[in-house]
Amino acid sequence: MRFAREIRLFALPCAVAALAIPAAAHHSFAMFDNTRSITIHGNVTAFQWTNPHAYLEIDADEGKGASKHYTLELTSPNMMSRGGWTSRTVKPGDVVTAVLSPLRDGQPGGLLLVLTLPNGKKILPGVPHADRYKITS
Amino acid sequence: MIAKALLLGACLLAPATAAIAEPDFSGSWERYPPMGEKADPRYAPSPIPDPQLKPQYRAEWERGQKILKERLEEGQPAGDNYVHCIPDGMPSMMMGMFPMEVFQRAKQINITQEAFNQTRRIYMNETLPRWDEVDPSFYGRSVGHWEGDTLVVETTGIKANVTFRWTPHSEAMKITERIRLLAPDILQDQITIEDDYLEKPWTYSYSFRRMKGYRLQEYVCEDNREVVDEDGKTHLKIDR
Repeated sequence: MRFAREIRLFALPCAVAALAIPAAAHHSFAMFDNTRSITIHGNVTAFQWTNPHAYLEIDADEGKGASKHYTLELTSPNMMSRGGWTSRTVKPGDVVTAVLSPLRDGQPGGLLLVLTLPNGKKILPGVPHADRYKITS
Repeated sequence: MIAKALLLGACLLAPATAAIAEPDFSGSWERYPPMGEKADPRYAPSPIPDPQLKPQYRAEWERGQKILKERLEEGQPAGDNYVHCIPDGMPSMMMGMFPMEVFQRAKQINITQEAFNQTRRIYMNETLPRWDEVDPSFYGRSVGHWEGDTLVVETTGIKANVTFRWTPHSEAMKITERIRLLAPDILQDQITIEDDYLEKPWTYSYSFRRMKGYRLQEYVCEDNREVVDEDGKTHLKIDR
């Protein structure tokens, strides 16, 4: 099963990132609400392949032709690369579906948990301790 | 007759010399065991005990540990260098958050950690300078020599604000590492920290497993959008 294979691919970077407590805590995941998720669907406006985190910018459909811009934080390019991502996995203009843990402060953004690419393939960004983020959407 | 004896001696000596040849640590390594994997007890790293600080430094350390614990429970960053896009320095770098690469030559051994492209340089068969003969830095000055199959590395000259687990230290702190292969693909780094701030040396070890064929990636901390406020809470800078 393709999805299962991708989860395995991500097992290594997750493990590497979680080796030491400081590693798990070196960037804040507390700013994201891990008790719930939201799902957005829309156009990618930018995919930024940078350290310490990659970012995905999406204009999400809000219905009736309206859209709302979201900024999604991902892990780091080296971890994502070990999990099968490249800087070209997703590009501006792609229509994607993203499941994210929203920012607690109400800003339109969050931590990406699952991305569905235009070809229907689901891909994970390798969030350390991903099981602690509830998918409720 | 003498020539024959010399030849015989040389022949006897050759295998012995070969047996003590220095091992080659070159290549990529990851911390062992990775999360979710149970360590083979033969290769498991030793636990890291608390540092035995002298009383006058212990209070500062305990205050720091309390904050650290609270922040970890809240899921907030520890407030260590990474949050500010600053590399670990020594000895934290050897915790191996990401893979590391060893580049070994007879006169110099470099160790690069993928996080922040950190590189430390170990100069072989040199004398360790006194701590006040070097300018304090993140990686300090490191010299190495071989004791049989073990690479012994001594380091001094670490900046006072470059700490491991928020442990205060003097600029005279000395780190001694004994690095050896426990198996062809398992490397052990036994670390001993000596300092006037400590009642007794602080010792622990890490294990690493070879990552055959893995090439380290570039890591430039280019766009840190996480902003830490005065309370230690982090916010994300949204693009627009």
